Amino acid sequence: MLLVPCPNCGPRNASDMSYGGEPHSRPDPNTASPEQWRTYLYLRDNESGWITEKWYCSSGCRKHFKLERHTLTGELRNPPLPGNKTGGHK
Amino acid sequence: MADPPAFESPVVTIGRAAGAGSITLTDESATTKASVRAADGTPAASALGLTFGCAEARGDVLVARTRPDEWMVFGTSQAVAAHLGGLDLSGYASTVDITHSRLMFRITGLAAAKAMAKVCSIDFSDPMMPSGACVGASVAKVGCDIIRHDIDDVPSYRILCDRSFGQYLFDALVDAKAEFG
Ligand SMILES: [Zn+2]
Repeated sequence: MLLVPCPNCGPRNASDMSYGGEPHSRPDPNTASPEQWRTYLYLRDNESGWITEKWYCSSGCRKHFKLERHTLTGELRNPPLPGNKTGGHK
Repeated sequence: MADPPAFESPVVTIGRAAGAGSITLTDESATTKASVRAADGTPAASALGLTFGCAEARGDVLVARTRPDEWMVFGTSQAVAAHLGGLDLSGYASTVDITHSRLMFRITGLAAAKAMAKVCSIDFSDPMMPSGACVGASVAKVGCDIIRHDIDDVPSYRILCDRSFGQYLFDALVDAKAEFG
């Protein structure tokens, strides 16, 4: 079980959450090349180590937030403060 | 405006032994339920108050802050209307009557927390979930709001879910409480 520290609800089972993956900014659809769209839609960094990722507290407070997870150990850190909608680091 | 149709719960409780044993499970879906969505800093948010995750009885109604920007108010239709009638809805604020879209069950008994723990990952111990606490959580995989509101010091939880999941959730709760007699 992965305990995800929601900034509003506290530590909650990851099954109460929806995973949002790595946050990438969406390119401008008017100017993006097919390569840029493909990169945005399908390619992930998949780093080994600390990454920033998005979570949605779907059955708790229904807020989106970012935090950091270590992809080797599963540790989670740096959830935003309550009320901070974006949060996370980077 | 015409009166809304009388509430009829879709949940069949007869023959489900819902009231038997040391834990009672009742269908309180006919209770009038209102949802208030109000952004930070709006008059409605200030008037309703409470910390996120808390609930309290105010006169004839029970008010629960079930999300950082959402409150629920329960009671008779007159009491809920009276409580929300004077609410200033300026800014990003609105009220919706959710009586017919959400069902409400109540599970009461000294072992009610143990039965709940079988179908929900929330920590139901007294320090984490005292009377007057509310959480959003999945109960038997159904997205629910849970409000603890004890009756004479006996633990009691109100569980709200979408109407269409009602019969399944009721049966799941009957099953969860069965082993506690
Ligand atoms: Zn949350």
